[in-house]
Amino acid sequence: MEKKLLIEGRRLDGRSPDQLRPVKLKAGVLKRADGSAYIEQGNNKILVAVYGPQELHPRHLQQPDMAVLRCMYNMAPFSVEERKKPGPDRRSVEISKVVREALESVLFLNLYPRSVIDIYIEVLQADAGTRVAGITAASVALADAGIPIRDLVAGVSVGKVDGTLVLDLNAEEDQYGEADMPVAMTGRDKRITLLQMDGHMTREEFRQALQLAMKGCQQLYELQKEALREKYSSTPKEVTG
Amino acid sequence: MRIVHVSNRALVVPGELLAEGDLRAGRGAYKEGQKIFSSVVGLVEIGEKEVSVIALEGCYEPRVGDDVVGVIVDSHMYGWIVDINSPYMGDLYAQDLLSKVDVTRVELSSYLKRGDLIFAKIGEVTSLRKVKLQARGAGYGKLKGGRLVEITPVKTPRVIGKRQSMLSMIQSVTGCILKVGQNGRIIIMSEDDKKISAITEALYMIEREAHTSGLTDRVKVFLEKRLKEDGEKASD
Repeated sequence: MEKKLLIEGRRLDGRSPDQLRPVKLKAGVLKRADGSAYIEQGNNKILVAVYGPQELHPRHLQQPDMAVLRCMYNMAPFSVEERKKPGPDRRSVEISKVVREALESVLFLNLYPRSVIDIYIEVLQADAGTRVAGITAASVALADAGIPIRDLVAGVSVGKVDGTLVLDLNAEEDQYGEADMPVAMTGRDKRITLLQMDGHMTREEFRQALQLAMKGCQQLYELQKEALREKYSSTPKEVTG
Repeated sequence: MRIVHVSNRALVVPGELLAEGDLRAGRGAYKEGQKIFSSVVGLVEIGEKEVSVIALEGCYEPRVGDDVVGVIVDSHMYGWIVDINSPYMGDLYAQDLLSKVDVTRVELSSYLKRGDLIFAKIGEVTSLRKVKLQARGAGYGKLKGGRLVEITPVKTPRVIGKRQSMLSMIQSVTGCILKVGQNGRIIIMSEDDKKISAITEALYMIEREAHTSGLTDRVKVFLEKRLKEDGEKASD
C-alpha cells in the first residue's frame, strides 16, 4: 500500500497544511564572529556567522566602489542520515550562490568600498529547507554584526504533497512530495529575493503557494525582529566586584 | 508635513518605519520616497531636521578629525601602515609624525616598530577610503606605558559621554588619564594595577550596558565601590 503524507488534513508530524514547524531563533551566539545567529526550525539546526566588513585579500578581488559579499553554505558530515563527505560539492556551491544573491539586494554594499563581508552558514542538522532557514538566520546575523541592511530577509519553502499545498516541508514531504519551492522575501514589503522550484505545480497552485509562502515569511519576520530585540531587552545586572 | 512613527531612543531593528515627510535620513537610516526606515539595530534619535539610528554593533568607519589608537603593522620607504581597527588600514607618513625628517637617510623603524601603539588624528579619508593619519602635536604620537582595552567601536561615544561627562567622571574618581580612540581602543595611563583593572571592568560595563539610561551614575557607584574594596584589602 502506498504511504500517505497527508491523513485527514494532518501531516505526518501533526501539523496542518499551512503551519510552520516550531522555530527557535537567537541572535549573537558566537563571541568571536562580528555577528551570528542560530536557528532551529523543526529538526533543522543551523549556525550562521558573519565577519566584516574587513579588508579583502588578495587585493585584485577588491571592488573599488563597493564591498564584496561572500557566502559559504556548508553541511556538517553528521547533519544527514548517511554521512556527508565533507567539503564543498555541486549542491552546496549552488546554494551558496543563491543565498548570496538573496541577501545581496538588501545590503548597502557601496558604503564599504574595497572591503569584504563574509557569511558562513553551517548546517549542523538537516531536515529540508536548510537554504531558506539559513537565509532567515543570516539576515539576523548581518543585523547583529551592525552591517546596515534595508530589511530583514525571511525564507520558507512551500510544496505539494498528496495534491495539497503545504507550508514549510519536512524531510519526508520534501523527498516524497510532488513539488518543493523555496522562497525568500524581504520582511517589510515582501519583495522576493529567492525563488526556486522542483517538481510540478499548475499556474493556480503556484499563485496559492506564493501566498502561503508570504504568510510563512511574515511569521518568520516577526520572530527575526523578536530575536534581535531580545538581545538588548534583557535588564542589566548589577556587577559585583 | 511630517509624521514620526517611533519615540525618541526607542529600540529599532533594520527595515522599521521611522518617519515620513520632509525629514532627512541620518546615520543608520535610509529614505525610500517619502519614508524613512532604519538600517541597523539601534536607538532612534529624532532631531530637528534629521532622524538617525545610533547603532549598537558595528565596525569603525574612519571620519576626518577623529582621534584613534593605532597599531603599527609595517613600515615602508615614507612611513608606516597602521591598523586602526577598521575595514581600512591607516597610512602614517614620516612627515606627519616627525617635524624634520629626511626619509632617504633615516631608518623609519627606529622611530616606530611593528606592534607599537600610536595616538593619531584622522587627517584625510578619500572616496576610495584611503585613510591618512596625523600624529604631530601634543598628546599625539607613540604611546608609552598604559594598558590597552578594546571595546565595540560604536560604543565609544558612551565612554566619552555627553560633553565628556562619563570620561571626566572616570578620570576624576580614579585619578587616571584615559586616551580614548573613536575606533574602540582605549589606553588607561596608570601605574596602579588595581585602578587599571577597576577601570577596565568599568569600560566593559559601559560596553555591555551602553543602551541603558542612568549609566554614568551606575559606573560611578561601581568604581567607588571597587576602589574602596581595594583600599580595604590593602590595609588588611
